[in-house]
Amino acid sequence: MMQPTRSGWRGALIANWFYLLIAVGLAFLPQIIGLITGDSPFGVRGRPIGQSIFWQGVLIEVFLLAVLAMSYNLLFGFTGVISFGHALFFGAGGYVIGLALEYTELGPELSVIVGVIIALVVSAGLALLIGLASLRLRGVYFAVFTLAVAELFFIFFGRLPLTFAEDGFSITDLPTWIDPIRNRLGFYYIALVLMIVTFLFLRRLIYSPTGAVMLAIRENEERAKTIGYNTLRYKLIAIMIAGMLAALAGILQALFTKKVGPELLGLTYTIDPLLMTIIGGAGTFAGPVVGATGIHLTDRLLRDREIIIGATTIDIGASWALILGILFIIVVLVLPQGIVGTWNRWRAARQAQTTPPPPPSARNQRAIETPAAKSNP
Amino acid sequence: MQRNYLIVAVIAAGLLVFAFVTASSVGNFGITLMSGLFQGMLLFLVASGLSIIFGLMDVLNLAQGSYFMVGAYVSYSFHHSPEMMTVIPNPDLRFLMAVLVAVGIGALLGGILERGLLRPLYARPIFQIVLTFGVSLVLLEAVKFIWSTTPYSWTELFAFREGFFELFGQRFSTYRLFVIAMGFALIIAIALLLQRTRIGIIIRAGVEDSEMVEALGVNVRAVFTLMFTLGCAVAAFGGAIAAPFLGASTSMANTFLLPAVAVVVLGGLGSYIGTAISSVLLGLAVAVVANFVSSPAINQPVWQSLTPMILLILVLLVRPSGLFGKGS
Repeated sequence: MMQPTRSGWRGALIANWFYLLIAVGLAFLPQIIGLITGDSPFGVRGRPIGQSIFWQGVLIEVFLLAVLAMSYNLLFGFTGVISFGHALFFGAGGYVIGLALEYTELGPELSVIVGVIIALVVSAGLALLIGLASLRLRGVYFAVFTLAVAELFFIFFGRLPLTFAEDGFSITDLPTWIDPIRNRLGFYYIALVLMIVTFLFLRRLIYSPTGAVMLAIRENEERAKTIGYNTLRYKLIAIMIAGMLAALAGILQALFTKKVGPELLGLTYTIDPLLMTIIGGAGTFAGPVVGATGIHLTDRLLRDREIIIGATTIDIGASWALILGILFIIVVLVLPQGIVGTWNRWRAARQAQTTPPPPPSARNQRAIETPAAKSNP
Repeated sequence: MQRNYLIVAVIAAGLLVFAFVTASSVGNFGITLMSGLFQGMLLFLVASGLSIIFGLMDVLNLAQGSYFMVGAYVSYSFHHSPEMMTVIPNPDLRFLMAVLVAVGIGALLGGILERGLLRPLYARPIFQIVLTFGVSLVLLEAVKFIWSTTPYSWTELFAFREGFFELFGQRFSTYRLFVIAMGFALIIAIALLLQRTRIGIIIRAGVEDSEMVEALGVNVRAVFTLMFTLGCAVAAFGGAIAAPFLGASTSMANTFLLPAVAVVVLGGLGSYIGTAISSVLLGLAVAVVANFVSSPAINQPVWQSLTPMILLILVLLVRPSGLFGKGS
């Protein structure tokens, strides 16, 4: 998590070797799984089945949740704005792309492009309106305000006859290049690129002067205001960017499941990124990704398994929620700053023991990644 | 302080006028008000515990709905178990005992949660959300394990559950009156506890400035444990009182959590009276709107479900700290 200390591309590559390794690994993972299991990454016998296809699906879900959690982290971890209505933007993306594809006569290619543009505009507009309320509302009041707005849309679309109320509607006609059935591998790369771009973009943003003001708002909004920053403007920027990123994740989620329904606007897509961010480490760059990966992978892999200890068989599927609940409790008590936050702290403590104090520039950079424990109601 | 009551009076008057104008008859008007008051009090039974824990202690306890649910289950099984029927044949006395047992179990579970898990987290409040969410999952699974997922409906009759009274030509269970009375009793009891007793003074002082109170020689930690226990006990009490009407089901926890959070925020964090007033206002608003939009001429029942959100949004835009909240 260090900012490149050497200048230029080479320095950046060396400093980020770990992330680079993961990105390259993920890019070739479908082929590697294909080689190991013998199932082609393009499917078996022309049908979208096989181990590689299955794992691509699981990872696509992880990538999209990671983007959603990262967008939440921009608000919650870096700007100190608590929102309980993040699902609104996620669902807005899904509904707009669904409506564009199924309710317009533009043809699938154009519909996708127009849908993405409209979804971004709509989510940015919603974010702007909600953000303006933060002019007056603070902390928990703002959080519950966003919750009320999101629930409003959830209930409204759950009853709207045009979009088939709570059943939702299916997306039937997709261009081949983004069709998760006919071109799973292509969809995998789109989701992967979205995640990587989001990660790099947020890191760039936080290290920019704008990001510095966001961090200042997180630490002490009154002080940032007193220095002369128009904090509302920076909060609006953060909320709008987070909303648009969440909408992108929602678009791909709707395309991936080929289904648009009110569940996209539901509380799950607010609570999940919240849990993923806090458990992974709020206010760290990798935290939301780690949280999304950890929670979603354990969910997908353990949910239907059975553990056999001696003579007793534990059916994990039946007690899955119980295990998840206990896991949350343990993580919160054992890792006080989330996984990445605690890891960073541990590493910083070790470095402080073995090396002389870092130069002032390095110290400033570390201040960015403090856990968001202060940014509470 | 005067302005708060003015706004409440304006909202209430607006609702009453709207209800009167849209009512089909005087009888219909009366029934709507009755139903609104009942729904408001039912909501208050869930929200009162949250008002103590979330409003006064600043702990957003996502497990609050689970305590409500546990209260309902405990009182149901106590009242319906064959053993208890032989030990306490009198159904009224048995219901009283069932409520007491539910309150006791709620308090016990609440105390365990605060002492065992929540205490290290006062320094980093945001993690309380994750922790209490985890606890709510565990409690839900425990309830499913003990009582299975089948919902129970209250079948045993007792005094209030049995009777009916007639209002404007419509029959109501006297249990509705009992729930309303219990709601008022709870408001008065907790308000007296907070305003007129020594422990109430310590609680309010501890909320204002816990370090100062600690410096005066008060064991603030113990007071916080007590408050949390009280909040959970009150939630279980609400569940036990609501059970003869709502029955006991695993969906109770989540259905009532959101409205309860909304009501506490609507009333203003830290104001117990605010929670009580906003519960009744919200209940009235939902009943009035429901009566209007479900009439054959309009028939848009979705607005009934949207009413709580719209009221909350509008009030927060006018009063950013809720109706009775401090600050700004």
